[in-house]
Amino acid sequence: MKKLLLALLGVGAALTVALPGAFARTEATQAPDAVPGITKNSIVIGGTFPLSGIASLYAPIPRGMEAYFNYVNARRDKKTGQRGIYGRKIVWKYYDDGYNPGQTVQLTNKLILDDKVFATVGSLGTEPVLAVRPLHKKLKVPQVLVSTGASYWGLQYKEYPWTSGWQTDYVAEGRVYARWILQNAASSKIGVFFQNDDYGKDYLRGLKQGLGSRRSLIVSELSYELSDSSYASQLSRLRQSGADTLVLFTTPTPTARAIGTAKAVGWNPKQIVINSVSATDQVMAGAARAAGQAYVNGAISTGYLKNNTNPKYRTDGAIKAYRRIMGKYGPDGININNTFYYYGVAKAYDFVKLMYLAGKNPTRAKLMAATAKMNWVNPYALKGVRIKTSRTDRFPIDQGKVVRYNDGSWTEISALYKGR
Amino acid sequence: MNVVRRNLGRAIGPALFLAAAVLVILMPRFMGEFRLLQFTLVAIYAIALIGLNILTGYSGQISLGHGAFVGVGAYTAALLSLGRPGLEALQLDPPSWMPLGDGMRPIFTIPIAALVTGLFGLLIGVPALRLGGISLALATLAIAVSFPIVMKRFAEVTGGGGGINLNLPETPFGWDISTRHWLFYEAWVTAGIVFLAGWLLTRGRIGRAWRAIRDGEVAAVSSGVNPALYKTFAFGVSAAFAGAAGALLAIETAYVNPDTFPVGISILLLASAVIGGLGSLAGAIFGALLYVFLPIYAQKPPIFSFEFADQAPGVVFGVFLIVIMLLLPGGIAHFFRALVVAARTGRFRRRSRTSELA
Amino acid sequence: MAIPARPALPALDVSPAARTLILGVGGFLGSIAVLVLIGLVLTQTEEVFTWSGYWQQVVSGLAQGAIFASLALALVLIYRATDILNFAQGEMATFTTYIAWSLMNHMSYWPAFALTLAIAFIGGAAIERTIIRPVEHRPEIVIVIVTIGLLIALNGLAAWIWNPEVKAFDSPFPNRTTEIGGVVVAIQDLGVLGVTLVTVILLWAFFRFTALGLVMRAVANSQDASRLLGVRVGWMLALGWGLAAVLGAIAGMMAAPSVFLDPNMMLIILIYSFAAAVLGGIDSPVGAIVGGLMLGVLINLLGTYVDFIGGDLRLPAALVVLLIVLLIRPQGLFGHKVVRRV
Repeated sequence: MKKLLLALLGVGAALTVALPGAFARTEATQAPDAVPGITKNSIVIGGTFPLSGIASLYAPIPRGMEAYFNYVNARRDKKTGQRGIYGRKIVWKYYDDGYNPGQTVQLTNKLILDDKVFATVGSLGTEPVLAVRPLHKKLKVPQVLVSTGASYWGLQYKEYPWTSGWQTDYVAEGRVYARWILQNAASSKIGVFFQNDDYGKDYLRGLKQGLGSRRSLIVSELSYELSDSSYASQLSRLRQSGADTLVLFTTPTPTARAIGTAKAVGWNPKQIVINSVSATDQVMAGAARAAGQAYVNGAISTGYLKNNTNPKYRTDGAIKAYRRIMGKYGPDGININNTFYYYGVAKAYDFVKLMYLAGKNPTRAKLMAATAKMNWVNPYALKGVRIKTSRTDRFPIDQGKVVRYNDGSWTEISALYKGR
Repeated sequence: MNVVRRNLGRAIGPALFLAAAVLVILMPRFMGEFRLLQFTLVAIYAIALIGLNILTGYSGQISLGHGAFVGVGAYTAALLSLGRPGLEALQLDPPSWMPLGDGMRPIFTIPIAALVTGLFGLLIGVPALRLGGISLALATLAIAVSFPIVMKRFAEVTGGGGGINLNLPETPFGWDISTRHWLFYEAWVTAGIVFLAGWLLTRGRIGRAWRAIRDGEVAAVSSGVNPALYKTFAFGVSAAFAGAAGALLAIETAYVNPDTFPVGISILLLASAVIGGLGSLAGAIFGALLYVFLPIYAQKPPIFSFEFADQAPGVVFGVFLIVIMLLLPGGIAHFFRALVVAARTGRFRRRSRTSELA
Repeated sequence: MAIPARPALPALDVSPAARTLILGVGGFLGSIAVLVLIGLVLTQTEEVFTWSGYWQQVVSGLAQGAIFASLALALVLIYRATDILNFAQGEMATFTTYIAWSLMNHMSYWPAFALTLAIAFIGGAAIERTIIRPVEHRPEIVIVIVTIGLLIALNGLAAWIWNPEVKAFDSPFPNRTTEIGGVVVAIQDLGVLGVTLVTVILLWAFFRFTALGLVMRAVANSQDASRLLGVRVGWMLALGWGLAAVLGAIAGMMAAPSVFLDPNMMLIILIYSFAAAVLGGIDSPVGAIVGGLMLGVLINLLGTYVDFIGGDLRLPAALVVLLIVLLIRPQGLFGHKVVRRV
């Protein structure tokens, strides 16, 4: 008993010593002028991506970025003769958040607090990015070139000045489809099949905005959930509505399913429209196998990047560079025809340009300022597409060309449309 | 001599608790911000796991829907801390019958979220009585599956897929302490309270009734225990604890969204509870440590190929679950307790044998 | 005075086989009647209603339900034999479907199909002997976690070996439609229903008419009694898991053409199948089939015709209906009441 009391006394003494000390702030010791993530020879950047789980088909994106960064670290800049960006090598760290915003918060905290990144680049997913947008704002860390087509990044730059987007947003893309239809198929009866979340709804909103007074061309709009195991119900209703144009605002796997199911319910739409995220070779190949090549031939989509598998581009300088970079600096044994590697390379190109714009002594504030002054041509993008932002226009890419699918490749069939 | 030893043996529990308390209090002095964040999450998930422990470990009702309870608590805290004005500023339009108030300090949302979730748990507990083991598992799975869907559906209240951004956490009452430290203590103090509450419940009459029901309901009834009362109560208590954890989670991450609480969370929570050790409150801490640290530290550089690295965490975790269940079916806490008992009684036994022989 | 005895009702003196036949046919006709009734109700409540559209929804619901039924049957098989709910059943199905996909790159459909079934059988039996055997006698929760671990491991393994990009899976049935009485029906759907029917009949025949099936039924009834009679219980349990894996593989290969192959293909289907199995009675194979078909049709009709529910609340609504049924009849539609003994 006495020993127990002694033990308790000891613990109590420890507590009285510990408590006041525990409440003291721990100041971070750092050189006063140092910018986190920037040293004389390195730039540390990070991102969160779904490498596993339901969205893991996007996993090639950070790997494409990595290959390009490796290339930049190895090559000598034409103007300055230095490797990397002004002699600084890019250190690229990315983690798997499984598309769970809760995990994104933890991992982004790790990137910022533990890995001390200069900025986060290209993080993927509307909800994951939304989850950490306030954190970036509070800690004043740039969140640039995020991999999602939501419109928030371009529209809300005043409330969230530390976040910026990159690709043509879904609303703008929807408008492009509307304009093309009005110009080329103005008597279509449109049936829309969309994912019941911001992704699908943004596309639909853009389509309706673009159609304007001819909104009645849409005879039916039906949605699906990711938890649906079959779309037969919706697609047969779309067929029954008399629509002759099937517009798919769906993510990749559901797109393949929808096309297969549309054929299965006996529908042969005159025209199929597929959103750009899902207009990948894998999806089209899968859909062709299920519904037949003839069924998917003629489908249209939009694009702002060159299609890296189109034979027309075989001798294009950018595509050749892409193959060289992925071959030499990318992981072994991968399928470089996968569009997502190409997407990563294109995005990494723009990040490097941004860093150059931020100057020889970049700071986080300078990087964000640079996102409002973008104005260049990205060789990986379609001819005519310009990466442009201004004080009031924060959509770096807002253009697209309509492309048509035939026997394995996409051909451009329209001029450049401006979505915004 | 033996008397002192026995008393010391009994004192191990409280002594460990106090040692842990000291450790927790001192942690912020020695740890970087990110590590502190991780340990804050450990406290939060430990609270949720204590609840699950009570439900599945003590009263024997398998729940595959615990994540939904955490989610209910998180959304309650989010709605209350923003209040009607805050929600309307986010372009949301909650119905007028909801008593949302004008926004309150986040710390007060914790007990309210616990209460609301607890009531929800009681509501689930009543029909759960009629369902046996497998059917109950299905019912709780149904709740876990439906939760994100329902949250997305009523978007005018919940912000739908985009979720709700809470105000970033601040230290209350203008105390001079870093936000990270404040959140850390808030979580651990709540965990301490929940732990004490759980301890009091499980060592008393209620705990005995729960264990009796778990081990043989018919026998329990013949001993005069009313299973309906205790089983429903277990649901309520476990939900309340999960709700408190959810509120803390919402405050800590400052964001709620249906996809933060998918079915997988409920499954992982159950797995963590079992590996931590059911039937022991300390198991909740082990489970929480596992839940927080394993996913991050499983993301190592590629060994064979990057495809392997991507999927390795999943495969390793799955194999880990199987192996642990084969080797330590009682969980980690049970293993430690067995060690302690063996250490104590082993010495006892040897001593008494020799003393007998002499 | 003698009280006249009430005249006894003539005993329904029919053989069990005949009784099954009568119940089966009666059930079938009854279901058609219920469906017609629902259709009649909908003509009143819906502004746009066509009978051909309605029957098309019913048929595609049945096809979907057939897949649920196959997987549910696998779940029930394992539960009856070993009292275990195998959460990994869906992932085992996905894994074997991936194996089929690889095989089909080298041989034509039906040989690959048969070989896959053989591999599934061996795999299922192997899993039972190596992973399940050591924990069979442990508390229920431990076994649940083991099957969950198996689920997670198989999911990651499939994504690793075959990479997570979506893949098309061939179907032996042409992707066309045909008209039956004015109703447009997908041949794929009819094919799935046909395969499921054949599978169920073969399975029933196996249990009813073969010695092995009889022994397995004995083991499911009472392991101890069977052991006393000299049955090698361990091997029978492995056999049960093997058969269940075969059923899962069939479900996977029937689902993959329309759902497309990716590692998470069966996750949602598992939830539906679990629900179907419990709805029908977790120890009743007939219940699994009826439950699966009912659930498939229910989901389709709910989503199509009940506007408040719409697409997104389909799954919760179906689950609510399910739970209401369970509250009324906790043992499921065809299950046996659990008698708890001390």
